Formats: sequence, C-alpha cells, structure tokens
Amino acid sequence: MSCSRVRKWLPLYAASDLPSGKARRLEKHLGECPSCRKEVEELRAALAGIRAVAGREILDWPEGEWNRFMARVRSEEPAPRSVPVFSAFPRKAWAAGFLIVLALGIAGLILRAILSSPASSLLSESIAATAAQPSRTLVKDEVPSGGYPQDLPFRIRRQQGAPGRTVLAAGPSQEKTKQDLMSMTLVSHETGLKVHWTLNRNFEWEEKKQ
Amino acid sequence: MDEKEARLVELVLGGRTEAFEPLVTPYRQLLLTLAYRLCRNIEEAKEISQETLMRAFRYLGSFDRTRSFKNWLLQIEMNVWRSLGERAADEETLRELATRNTLEDPQERLAAKEAREKLFSCLDGLSPREREVFLLRDIEGRSVKETAGVLRTSSISVRVHLSKARDKIRELVKRRFPELMEGQR
Repeated sequence: MSCSRVRKWLPLYAASDLPSGKARRLEKHLGECPSCRKEVEELRAALAGIRAVAGREILDWPEGEWNRFMARVRSEEPAPRSVPVFSAFPRKAWAAGFLIVLALGIAGLILRAILSSPASSLLSESIAATAAQPSRTLVKDEVPSGGYPQDLPFRIRRQQGAPGRTVLAAGPSQEKTKQDLMSMTLVSHETGLKVHWTLNRNFEWEEKKQ
Repeated sequence: MDEKEARLVELVLGGRTEAFEPLVTPYRQLLLTLAYRLCRNIEEAKEISQETLMRAFRYLGSFDRTRSFKNWLLQIEMNVWRSLGERAADEETLRELATRNTLEDPQERLAAKEAREKLFSCLDGLSPREREVFLLRDIEGRSVKETAGVLRTSSISVRVHLSKARDKIRELVKRRFPELMEGQR
C-alpha cells in the first residue's frame, strides 16, 4: 500500500475515527513506513496541544446575569407537551411496516395475475394490440386497395356511445362467409372508435373484398 | 438522557418552570464557551447562548427523550449560530472584537489570553464548516455520529471536513506554535 493512498486516512486514524478495516490496513503500512508514522505522531501532538490550549479557558456566566436570565425564562409560558409523530414510532418499526406493506402489495399482484382468467388476459392483449393500428389504418382505409394485406382489412368509424367501456365483438365476416375467415370488431365506448378486423385461419390480415 | 434529566423535563412540561434551571445549568459553560469560539465576541456569545436556552424552553415539549439532551442543546446552538452568522461581521471585525473583549476584562489571566489567541489563530485557518466539526469533535469530544446529528449532516461529511480540519491544524500548529506539539510528544 502506497503512502499517497494512506495519507488521507492519517488525520482520522490519529484520533481513532477511521473504520476498523481501514485502520488495520493502515497499521500494517505504518509498521513499514517511518514517514507516515511521523505524520501520525505530529497529528496527535497537534491535536493534544490544541485541546490543552482550549481547556485552559472555559467561559461562564456572571451569576447575576445568569439569575436574571433564568428569571426571564421562568416568566415565559410553560412549554406545550407534544409527542413528535416520527420519533414516537421507532425507525425500525417504520421500516418493518413499510416492508410488510410492500410484501402484501407484491402478493396481491401475484394473486391477481393467478386468479384472473386467461380469456380476459387475451382480451386485454387484443385491445392493447389494436391501439397502435387505427391511426395508420384510418388513412389507409381511404386509399384504393391493392397494398399490403395487413393495411387493408380495417374499417375505422367513429360512433357515439357510452364512455368508459371497450367492447370486443368477434364473429363471421359479413363480407366473406367462409369458415376459415373470422372478423373481429373492437368498439371503444369512451372514444367512439370502432376497429374491424378480418383474419384468415393463419391469423393474417385478410384483404377486404369490396 | 439520564433519569434526573427526564424527571426535570417532566416537571417543566407539567408547568414547574423552576425545574428548567437545574436542567440546563450543567451545560451553561459548554454553551457559552462553544458560542464564544464560534463567534469570538463575548456579547454575541451570550446572545447565542440565551437564544439557545430560550428555544430549548419553548420547544422542550417536542424534545425526543430517547436522544441526548446535551446534543439537542448543541444542535439548537448551532442553528442559532448559523442564523446569526448570516448577519455576522467579517473575520477581521470579529478578530478586533475578540481582542477588545480580552483587553476589557481586567480579571483575565495572561495565560488564558494567550491560549485563546492561539486557539483562535488556528481556528481562523479553517472554513466555517471545518471549524464547527473540529470544535464539536476534537474540542468538545462529541463522536462523529453525534457531531453529524448536531450539524444535521452525514457521518461521511463530518469525516471529510474533520480530516481536512486536522490536516490544517497540524500545519498551523507546526508552523506557528511548535511549542504546543513539543509538550505533547
């Protein structure tokens, strides 16, 4: 260990304020380095000298002045009693309470995930998946068909409806009655947005037949 | 906080205000001396100490009795010192005031005067935060943790400032007052 590295620890070590791990490593170095040892001795001597100087003068109040001041304090209103909210409850108790609430929250989320049906998860996923498409499709719905199949089967129409709910409707396509086709309509009652999909049996977008 | 102090606090909070004096008397020298070393003006030191004790009396109801009463008083004093420090005179004026106070006190012994000048000369070389940390830890003997509590800062911050302060004190004592070191080796 080099002198430059341990030198910054010396002022703390000189008055036993260095953490024990670092102190042990430093002591090992001091056993081999007279220069650092001398510095520690100087630090200790300077601190002891300045403490001795400080100890030679302790100020005190003149009795008369102190008594007058205490009489003034006594004439003040008695201090109101109040219990500090945070100090009344130890820190460890706060920490334990927080951990319990956190654990309960995590357990609740896990239970919710387990108990909720797979269908509703799929529904959520379907709705979430459609959210990104409409703005693109709204434009595409107005261009002549013939592009990529993925862009064509959407028919987006705004409808008035009760806000706050999204309805998923699925059934045979009106435009194509083959069994390997499926149409799906998502209606948002909140925004009035309606998304109509036609899918083939491979769950690929089916081109809309006009 | 010891049992005697807890009993006195109870009495004061119960309306027996005369119990405040025995509660704070053990700390009156400490508060005055520390204030003087911070501001170097005896009148201002008295003002700081009085304000500290007055606040202690007013807010005694909110004192957390699991803590040290002494450290609580020191914490109040540091707050008072800092709030007064904002309108304090510059270092030069403070030195002049300290000298004037010294000369005005006829009972002061020469040794105490010299000691004070040496101490102030060393403290002058420290930044305000280093001075606070050094006085509390190395002169008043508070632990690093207690010092951090009194100054409302972290132990790491105390160690950083303490380390710098001790390095500077060593240099200052070695250069200006080497006789202080000789007596301690």
